Amino acid sequence: MYVAVILALMLLLVSPASAFERVGDRRILVFVGRQEVPTIDPSIKYDWSIRMMQQSLYDALVKYVGPSAEIVPWLAEKWETSADGRTWTFHLAKNARFHNGDPVTAEAVRWSFARTLKLNQGPSWMLSDFLKEDGIKVVNPTTVQFTLTQPFGPFLSVVPWWYVMNPKQVTANEQSGDAGQKWLTTNEAGSGPFKIKRWQPGTLYELEAVDDYWKGWPSKDHVGGVIYKLVREAAAQRAALIRGEADIAEGLTPDDYDQVAKMPGVVVPEFPGMTTFGLKMNTQRGATKDVNLRKAIAYAFDYDAFLKIYNGHAVLEDSPFPKATRGYVAVPAFYRQDLNKAREYLAKSAYPNGGVELEYVYFDGLEEERKMGLVLIDNLAKLGLKVKMTATTWPNMVARASKVETSPDFLAVFTTPVSTDPDAVAYQYHKSSWGKYYGSSFYTNDGVWALIDQARTTVKWADRAPLYADIQKKIADDVPEVFGMLMNRRWGMRDHVKGFSFSPVRFTGEVDLYPLAITAK
Amino acid sequence: MTGYVAGRVLALGVLLFGLLCITFAISHVIPGDPARLAAGPDASEAMVQTLRAQYGLDRSLGTQFVVYTRGLLRGDFGLSLRSRNTVADDLARFFPNSFELVTLSLLLAVAVGVPLGMLSAVYRDTWIDHGSRVMSVSGVAVPAFWLGLMLQLVIALHLGWLPLGGRLNLTTELPPPITHLLLLDAVLRGQWATLGDGLRHAVLPVVTLSFPALASILRVNRAEMLETLHQDYILNARAQGLGGLRVVAKLALRNAMIPTLTMIGLRYGWMLGGTLLVESVFDWPGIGLYAVNSALSSDFVPVMGVTLVIGFNFMLANLLVDLGYAWLDPRLRRTAA
Repeated sequence: MYVAVILALMLLLVSPASAFERVGDRRILVFVGRQEVPTIDPSIKYDWSIRMMQQSLYDALVKYVGPSAEIVPWLAEKWETSADGRTWTFHLAKNARFHNGDPVTAEAVRWSFARTLKLNQGPSWMLSDFLKEDGIKVVNPTTVQFTLTQPFGPFLSVVPWWYVMNPKQVTANEQSGDAGQKWLTTNEAGSGPFKIKRWQPGTLYELEAVDDYWKGWPSKDHVGGVIYKLVREAAAQRAALIRGEADIAEGLTPDDYDQVAKMPGVVVPEFPGMTTFGLKMNTQRGATKDVNLRKAIAYAFDYDAFLKIYNGHAVLEDSPFPKATRGYVAVPAFYRQDLNKAREYLAKSAYPNGGVELEYVYFDGLEEERKMGLVLIDNLAKLGLKVKMTATTWPNMVARASKVETSPDFLAVFTTPVSTDPDAVAYQYHKSSWGKYYGSSFYTNDGVWALIDQARTTVKWADRAPLYADIQKKIADDVPEVFGMLMNRRWGMRDHVKGFSFSPVRFTGEVDLYPLAITAK
Repeated sequence: MTGYVAGRVLALGVLLFGLLCITFAISHVIPGDPARLAAGPDASEAMVQTLRAQYGLDRSLGTQFVVYTRGLLRGDFGLSLRSRNTVADDLARFFPNSFELVTLSLLLAVAVGVPLGMLSAVYRDTWIDHGSRVMSVSGVAVPAFWLGLMLQLVIALHLGWLPLGGRLNLTTELPPPITHLLLLDAVLRGQWATLGDGLRHAVLPVVTLSFPALASILRVNRAEMLETLHQDYILNARAQGLGGLRVVAKLALRNAMIPTLTMIGLRYGWMLGGTLLVESVFDWPGIGLYAVNSALSSDFVPVMGVTLVIGFNFMLANLLVDLGYAWLDPRLRRTAA
């Protein structure tokens, strides 16, 4: 906070400067972000910064595009599925090439999926219950077929995160049978629109556009490269953007975004996001085990405070599912502040007079979460409930959330689903999500779990949709969390950056670099 | 003298082992599950277990300690869960940057602190002495991160004279490594533009890191000089007609330098530790920043590696200081022999 205030003072003395870097005739976009890219191995890990790089260096069979998160053909020109939803056949584009010139073949696709499944890290959890290595078959050099062990409705929705690697390059760089893991940490074997130019871990990562990218480029002014520079202080990111030393900055505070939006030469595009914020309550231990107390809390909370904290750049949740999720329904009479109802439920609870202290755990340094804690203290005081605020580090939050015994009464949690398929959200309330940070409620409802299992193994959308409508209502009724808000996604951007394409399934700071162009001379 | 040196080296080994035990114990009692963090938020329990097994975190603490210690003897500092790299590789990448930062800072602190301390003593209670006192008190009192931010504010942002942070400009070419010390490699490769850019980026972090050391060196050197200048042998030298500067520089300074040298040695270790803050403020890619980022991810193997490296350097500096005593003070040489 102190650092942020000092750096904010600096901005008063700053005047806008020029823009992007130029190397020869290439216009290089400078992106400043706070998060490192420790690995780019598509089988090992993903988060927003890692996936921004993976999406630029690699291609997948299909890709999420645009604000509606449409799944469009990419390496696969077309695909078909069997009537029982177990067999998926993809036909590859014949002109797709890896960066070293090798064709992208069905064998490369098979090998890449098998590698990710075998290493059992990164995105493997998305398919490991439904796809085994022997279920992937090369039909011919441009046709690959997946036979699932049982129908899996969301199959296509997770395929965009399974990137295809060049097996020849990876196996040539194996060290002591590590499946190329060491090499792929900082090297790529992809077919994507960019390749690596410089890789300085902990400092900067530079990509160079592949001029003859097999898919072509959407704009003649496409960026010639991208430098992703690590700037860890949000206020320093803001300074870099205003000075013109950066073309895109992510992760600024709500106030920062509002301020830079007024600066000449800076724009702040804003989109409705899929990242939910909620105060997860421990439903298995302590006072919050009592569903009536949880309902009392949910009705006592001042939800408008969320909007104030984000200066209006957020929308309130009216279902456990984000609005962009397929099959979302607004749950009737969803929780809003109603002190009469709150007192009614408190009276029904085991704590009719309040008198208990609840712990609110939040991420140390995130001012918005601290403010939410203050709102909670104020609101729950009206019910005679006390709130103790505990600021801690992310590792501690994850550790505490992993066990019923340590999971706090309230855990402040942002969650971004991996796809627009409703299973991506519903499964967060399944028993299988216990132990994960977003499963810190240890939510239990056999009926809901059975519905989730049924819905994900149902093929036809017409059959799945009513199941998810029911799931949303049931979860809402059990109130495992104070359902909060969906924060709008914003980036600070110089106005010569064009072609920005938002997709809600991309993680918080993640930008699809492929369509970006620079129009300034 | 040889026995003295051998004894000190042996003590250094024992101290390092002690540091290893303490660091290992602390790293393993702090809450957090590094494997779960590294596996990612969506990872299943089976995936977390896979990672634990791969990194040996499923073994008992005793076994982990033995494996880690054996590895250290081979120069293997273990694996980082966060960077998925060997810690030895990461340290080799980041340590030269910190070494350059600390060395330049120490040189600056000595180059300014020693003469200023000497002048303050010689010109006691004059404007030079008062000015030096303000500097030394500020150096001790002002937190490094605050000074760093102020320098960024005034010098980099307001005046625009120097870069805000980082090691080089985004498009400056790195010299092909010879020593892995960027500035030295730039000189050896004749890349003068890179050298200039590297120095411009180094100025603010070096000034920030050197300021507290400069203040300490100045204070100690002034106090010692004052005491020395009142010694009988100085009076005697003056009485025999030796010139003022000669007495100060050749007789008094050399004797006053013994405690100052201790301070310089200790400061080297402290400055390596101090890089955590300065490197964070200036985005300087050294071991300090590496340690901070690792600690925030509960990735304790790199934190242990950095602690051991800093500890080893601290002890080495102390050893060199002790040996330096013998060179400066013949009486100690005789005692040691």
